[in-house]
Amino acid sequence: MQFHFKVSDAERDKGTAATSSSAATNPHTALQPQQPAALVEPKDAQHEIRLQNIVATFSVNCELDLKAINSRTRNSEYSPKRFRGVIMRMHSPRCTALIFRTGKIICTGARNEIDADIGSRKFARILQKLGFPVKFMEYKLQNIVATVDLRFPIRLENLNQVHGQFSSYEPEMFPGLIYRMVKPRIVLLIFVNGKVVFTGAKSRKDIMDCLEAISPILLSFRKT
Amino acid sequence: MSTALKCRNCGSNEIEEDNARGDRVCMNCGSVLEDSLIVSEVQFEEVGHGAAAIGQFVSAESSGGATNYGYGKFQVGSGTESREVTIKKAKKDITLLCQQLQLSQHYADTALNFFKMALSRHLTRGRKSTHIYAACVYMTCRTEGTSHLLIDISDVQQICSYELGRTYLKLSHALCINIPSVDPCLYIMRFANRLQLGAKTHEVSMTALRIVQRMKKDCMHSGRRPTGLCGAALLIAARMHDFNRTLLDVIGVVKIHESTLRKRLSEFAETPSGGLTLEEFMTVDLEREQDPPSFKAARKKDRERIKDIGEQELTELQKQIDAHLEKDLGKYANSVFQKLAHGKSTTITSSPSTPKSISENELEMEESRQFIEQSNAEVIKDLIDKDEGVKKVEPGGLVSGIEGLRPDIEAICRVTQSDLEDVERTKAPQETELFIEDLNDDELDQYVLTEEEAVSKLDMWKNLNAEYLREQQEREERLAKEREEGKPERKKRKPRKKVIGPSSTAGEAIEKMLQEKKISSKINYEILKTLTEGIGGLTGESAATSTETKPTTLQEIKEQPVIVEEGPVVSKNSRSRPAYDLPGPSRKRVKAEAGLPVSQAASEEPAETKQAVVIETDDMDEDVEQEEADAEPEAEPEATLQDMLNKGDEEDDEFGYGFDEEEEY
Repeated sequence: MQFHFKVSDAERDKGTAATSSSAATNPHTALQPQQPAALVEPKDAQHEIRLQNIVATFSVNCELDLKAINSRTRNSEYSPKRFRGVIMRMHSPRCTALIFRTGKIICTGARNEIDADIGSRKFARILQKLGFPVKFMEYKLQNIVATVDLRFPIRLENLNQVHGQFSSYEPEMFPGLIYRMVKPRIVLLIFVNGKVVFTGAKSRKDIMDCLEAISPILLSFRKT
Repeated sequence: MSTALKCRNCGSNEIEEDNARGDRVCMNCGSVLEDSLIVSEVQFEEVGHGAAAIGQFVSAESSGGATNYGYGKFQVGSGTESREVTIKKAKKDITLLCQQLQLSQHYADTALNFFKMALSRHLTRGRKSTHIYAACVYMTCRTEGTSHLLIDISDVQQICSYELGRTYLKLSHALCINIPSVDPCLYIMRFANRLQLGAKTHEVSMTALRIVQRMKKDCMHSGRRPTGLCGAALLIAARMHDFNRTLLDVIGVVKIHESTLRKRLSEFAETPSGGLTLEEFMTVDLEREQDPPSFKAARKKDRERIKDIGEQELTELQKQIDAHLEKDLGKYANSVFQKLAHGKSTTITSSPSTPKSISENELEMEESRQFIEQSNAEVIKDLIDKDEGVKKVEPGGLVSGIEGLRPDIEAICRVTQSDLEDVERTKAPQETELFIEDLNDDELDQYVLTEEEAVSKLDMWKNLNAEYLREQQEREERLAKEREEGKPERKKRKPRKKVIGPSSTAGEAIEKMLQEKKISSKINYEILKTLTEGIGGLTGESAATSTETKPTTLQEIKEQPVIVEEGPVVSKNSRSRPAYDLPGPSRKRVKAEAGLPVSQAASEEPAETKQAVVIETDDMDEDVEQEEADAEPEAEPEATLQDMLNKGDEEDDEFGYGFDEEEEY
């Protein structure tokens, strides 16, 4: 064990030394030596990703009578003064749908993609049972919110200094660093204790890609 | 001076200029040629209460014309420019704000410069002017390192501090101003002065500074408001110097909640520095840096959770591991005994298949370890040497002290396989039928009410929403009435601009871009499209190469030839002056038609091609305003489509930024 740690430490030293030496020329050359150290952690972290919320939209492609929907189902509420759609809830999978007159439906609150899909189809089925000529169209995941705990502290100030064009960190307003990644287009909230929130993702793969892209960066700003 | 001028009325050269009055008069016919001259010298005149400067001061920033906005009732001829008025107003308001914040004129000037930058990028559109002014002033405070908080400024301006923060972030981001992070040390002096510590203010603040620096070392500051740290440090420091300041006193000054302050204090108490005595703290500097408190808390939670998961499970696992270990150990011992027994009779090297002796194993390990350590040390030494060399060369930029990976711009620009797949997927038709095989109907039936229940729920709903229903009815009646009277229906808002998704090829991307933003209304885009298709057939070879090498980066896309030139070779840079001299004034020459060189290659359809790409450069000028200075190159007969596209791109970069930003929010 002793032997193994020595090697990995040296690797890291090499990586950081290379970073500072070649930073002026090309950041990508610096990325290479760091990989052995970085590869271990994101792989572990990938299992740690937890999806927290999924927003999906779909259309039933017919005009809906919201008053009728509200009166004929027990799991719905409709107060047009406050919100112009019917709010329908479900127990399993636990999720909520916003149903609009045009037939567009937003399904939120599901914890994973499968639940979101099943939930959406169940809502459509309920509408079908009420006698609407229901189709199931344009189903799309709009937003996935996920969290991950990287389990190492991060120097947010330095990260903000170096990645200023993507990040904003104002402890007076919000304790986390907001990182707007361009590709994949995801917004990350990075906290000092190593916890990261992803939002704005369209697929699980986006989040994986994002984590893969951000973890070497975060690792290089690790507080030791 | 007067000899060069001529009178407009009589043509006489005798013109008198009077700086005191500021006018110019023809001495021959007596007509006043000009008044309110702008002069560079100052003159004074005697008035009732002493001397006064003659005339009015004209600022160097004004672009001519009457600058005193609202001075006279008659706004004649070249009045004030709207932008000038805006800047003038901003200057007034920013100066006022700076005075309220006790900032000197220097800060006001810097803030005004920020405002001008924001104005020229159209970042002020759609935002309240008070927010913009405040954000500019705050940006100045941050770059200059004054002890002002966001909340101070929002307090003075009477606006929401989060709204102000958003504006400030937007501005600083769009103007690419890298602003250093907040340093809590800045605010110590300011708060210490308000704690009424008398003569000892300086000492207390020095102690508080030391405490804050220690807190920063222990990472207590990240993700926390600077005021909280300052409050805690000041409270400790004040008590260290025998002042009886209470929590409430400090809270009144730093304006945070008591629980926050208590939390900071207890967090500090948990660090090793917090455990030192007063004398020790002032003299000893602990080397070790602590992890941030929130990190420690998370780990503590983790440990508790693992405990909760079930000790039996773990102990069971432990038992299994122990059993395995014992078994292995037994084997190992056996083999050792065997080895020892055999060692005397047989040589060790004779049997490579049998387990190697421990001593050799260890020796190998030891040797390899030494070797690796040595080589590592060498490599590190090398790198450090190299590092020093590099550091000597570069003069230490803004972030030279910070290590860490920089953003990977190239990776951002790269078009990956998945992007292309996404594009393909969106093209594929989707199923529209509802798939219900796996759904449990019984469960869903529970949600549906019976007829009676439905009626009662509807009644209840009608009762609850009676008011809304009435309003709705009234509205409908009114609308019907209006329709009868023949009032025009309200116009619908224009749909928002669509976002251009990724495209699979450069050609497709350009096509999309052309659709999105027409470069010139004088171009017949339909024919342009046929042109590019025709080229593919004409010059098959070059077209093939362009399809083979698919672009992967933005750079390549730009470099990819859009139109293959067979005619005269054109320098890529359209800004370079044409080799030949253009006769006559360039402005008129601009009217000349600029055809594509392609017309020479595609001589079979010359008429069509020529028509396709007739460009009136006057129109181009409107598009490419910033290039007005060198408008002549447009007259170049060989202006390629690619050049035009590049120009369009540049324009995008210049202006699109501001617009996009605004669209988002």
